[in-house]
This record gives sequence, structure tokens and C-alpha cells, in this order.
Amino acid sequence: MLTVVNHLQGLASRLATEAGVEAGEGPGPIVPELKELYWGAGSFIVFALLMRFYLFPRLKQGMDARYAGIRADHEQADAARAAARAEVADYEAQLAAVKAEAAAKVDAARQALEAERQEQVKALNAQLAERRAAAQAETEAAKAAVRDQIHAAVADVAGRAGELATGRRPDATVVARVVNEVMAR
Amino acid sequence: MLAEAFKFPEINAILRWQDIFTSFNKIALIAVAAAVIGIVVFLLAGNKDAKVAPKGVRNLAETTVEFIEDGIVMQTMGKSGLGWTPFLLSLFIFIYLCNVPGIIPILQMPATARMAIPMFLALLVWVVYNGVGFKHQGIKYLTHTIWPPGVPVALKPLVGVIEFISNIIVRPFSLTVRLFANMLAGHILLVTFALLTQSLITAETQQLLLKPMAILPFFMLVFLTAFEVLVAFLQAYIFTILTAVYIGGAAHPEH
Repeated sequence: MLTVVNHLQGLASRLATEAGVEAGEGPGPIVPELKELYWGAGSFIVFALLMRFYLFPRLKQGMDARYAGIRADHEQADAARAAARAEVADYEAQLAAVKAEAAAKVDAARQALEAERQEQVKALNAQLAERRAAAQAETEAAKAAVRDQIHAAVADVAGRAGELATGRRPDATVVARVVNEVMAR
Repeated sequence: MLAEAFKFPEINAILRWQDIFTSFNKIALIAVAAAVIGIVVFLLAGNKDAKVAPKGVRNLAETTVEFIEDGIVMQTMGKSGLGWTPFLLSLFIFIYLCNVPGIIPILQMPATARMAIPMFLALLVWVVYNGVGFKHQGIKYLTHTIWPPGVPVALKPLVGVIEFISNIIVRPFSLTVRLFANMLAGHILLVTFALLTQSLITAETQQLLLKPMAILPFFMLVFLTAFEVLVAFLQAYIFTILTAVYIGGAAHPEH
């Protein structure tokens, strides 16, 4: 342990010698030394004055110019964004108008088509009814003609049969009435 | 025996240095270097193209300016205090560059661990903020300083004495001592652990355990060196922000 003590003491005195002072030499550590005071003060004053009148304004000017540029760019970008938004709104309004117009046209066309369809359906129905009536009349006429033919044939057959049975020809009107009655059953 | 084993060198042996030439020692060298480095950095920064995104030395300078403006001036004085940015910027950079040599090999001495520079800066700040006070408020500055608004009349004599001592006498003293004592304490701690490490390593002893034990003070030395990096910045920041607070208070007592 003694060697450590000796070593520390030797180190301390060597440190003091290297520092250029003997142990305990010079003013107390809290007493300001004049040379340090005026070199420190001088250095700071020169630095502060240069900073105030040259270094800082020069740097700040550049910073302000760049920030102004950035701000202007931002404003420009904001304006472009607003213009783009206005254009989009305009486009959307136009699109809505066109869509409304198209919808109205489609609606009108649909209505026109519906009306036309209705008309055509109506005409076709009328045509069909007309044709049906004509066909029915034709059928009725054919039926009546066939009935008349049958009537005439039956009356003729009945008259001949009566003539053959009685030797005289029955009255045609009687035969016709009887045939009518029989056919009407 | 143990007390003798840890006998520390005389304080002047670790604080005072042989003159480099007449009236110019290591502290003066550090102070001049701090100013020169600050000037060169801002000169180089000013020469770079300001229109493009800053990098390198310009980035460093602009970051420092913005730190002072946003972190100190705007927080303590508001927009009206921006005119004080160059002064506060100079103060911060100069103190920081005077603090940092405490951990730079070969230099290993913060210039602010000597009384002269902190005292000069504190007195300068004292003159500045009192000057600002008189400029903005005239002679009323004195009454505003010693009697803050709302003090009852009966308490005015007592408060007046306390505020006068606090604002006019103690402020420069506390500014000086805070910076000087913190840096001196850090320097002494670094010297202590460095000496202890060296002594344990080079001790001529039969005790085998003694030399490996040097790792303990060495770790402390490394830790304290890192801590001093923080202290160097912090002390410069504290001195600057207090200056801003004092100037702001003198210019606008209502705040």
C-alpha cells in the first residue's frame, strides 16, 4: 500500500510540474485571472459583434429567402389544389347535368316507345277483333248456307218420302216447317 | 494510510497551465479557439447555397439558429425577442465551445472551469438585462424590479430588499457560479478517476488484485466523460435560457 501512496504523490507532483506550476502556486481557483478575463472577453465580444452584424444576418437572410420560397411554393401548391378542386367540382356539376339530361331523354324515349307500343297493341287488337268478326261472320254465313243446304236436302228427302208413301207430294211449307222443328231440337 | 493513499494533487496543479506565451495560457487559447470556430462555422455556412436544402456545416448552423429561436427565444421572450437571437446564439455557442474541451483529449480543460469567463459573461448579461430594463421602462424599472405587481404595501420594505438582492446582486453571482462550479466539478471528477485508474495500473505492489481493480475507476471515467458531453450542452443551454428570461423580464415586466 505504501508504494501506491508514493506513486500517487509522485504522480501529483509530476502533474503539477507538467502544468507549469508548483503545488499551491498562483491565485485561488475561484479568483479570476486577468489574462483569462481579457482574452475570454475579447474573444466573446469579437464573436458576438461579428455574429450580430455579419454572420447571423447573412445566414438568416438565406434561411428567410428559402423559407419564403418554400412558403410561396406551398401557396402555389394550395392554389393549384384549389383550382383542381374547382375544376373537379365543375366537371362533376357538368357530369350531373349531362346525366340528368340523358336520364330525361331516356325517360322521354321510354315514354314515347310505350305510347307507340300501346298504340300498336291497340291497332293490332282492333285488327284482330275485326278479323275475328269477319271470320265469325264468314263462319256464320257458311253455317247458315250449310244449314240451308241440309234443310233443303232434308225437305226434299222428306217431301219425296212423303210422296212415295202417300202418292202425293206434301205441301212444301209444311215439310219446311217440320224440318225446321226437327232441326231445331 | 488510506487517506494518504488517495491524496489529491493541489487544485492549482489541475487547473492552472503554463503560459503558451506571455499572458496567453490554455484557457485563453480555448476562448480564442471557441470564437474562431464559431466564426468559421458561420462563415462557411453563410457561403453555402441558401436556396437548396441545407446540409453539412450550413445544416449545423441553421439547426443551432432554430434551436435558439424556437427553443429559447420564442419560449421565453416571444416574437418580440427575436432581435436578441444573435446575442443568445453567440452566448450559447461560445459557452458550449468553451465547455467541450473538458472532454477533448490533449486539451482536457473546460475554459469555463476557471472563474474569468463565466464571471465576464454573467456581468455582461447583467449589464445587458439592466440596460434593457431601463431602456424599456425608464426609471420605473427599478421599482418594478424590487416591487413586483400586487405586493401589499406593508410587505414592500421586506419584499423590496429580497427582490433587490435576488435580482440585482444574486443573479450575476448565481449565473457565474452555476456554470463555473458545474464545469469545475466535472473536471475534478474526470481527473480523480483518471488518476485513480493510472495509479492502480502502474502501482508497484505485491497484491495481484489491485491492478485488475483499475477497471472500476476506468468505467467511471468513461461514464463521466459521456456525462460531461451532456453537462457541456446543458450548462450552455441553462446560461442562455436564463439570459433570455432575464432580458425578457426586463423588457416586459408584465410577463
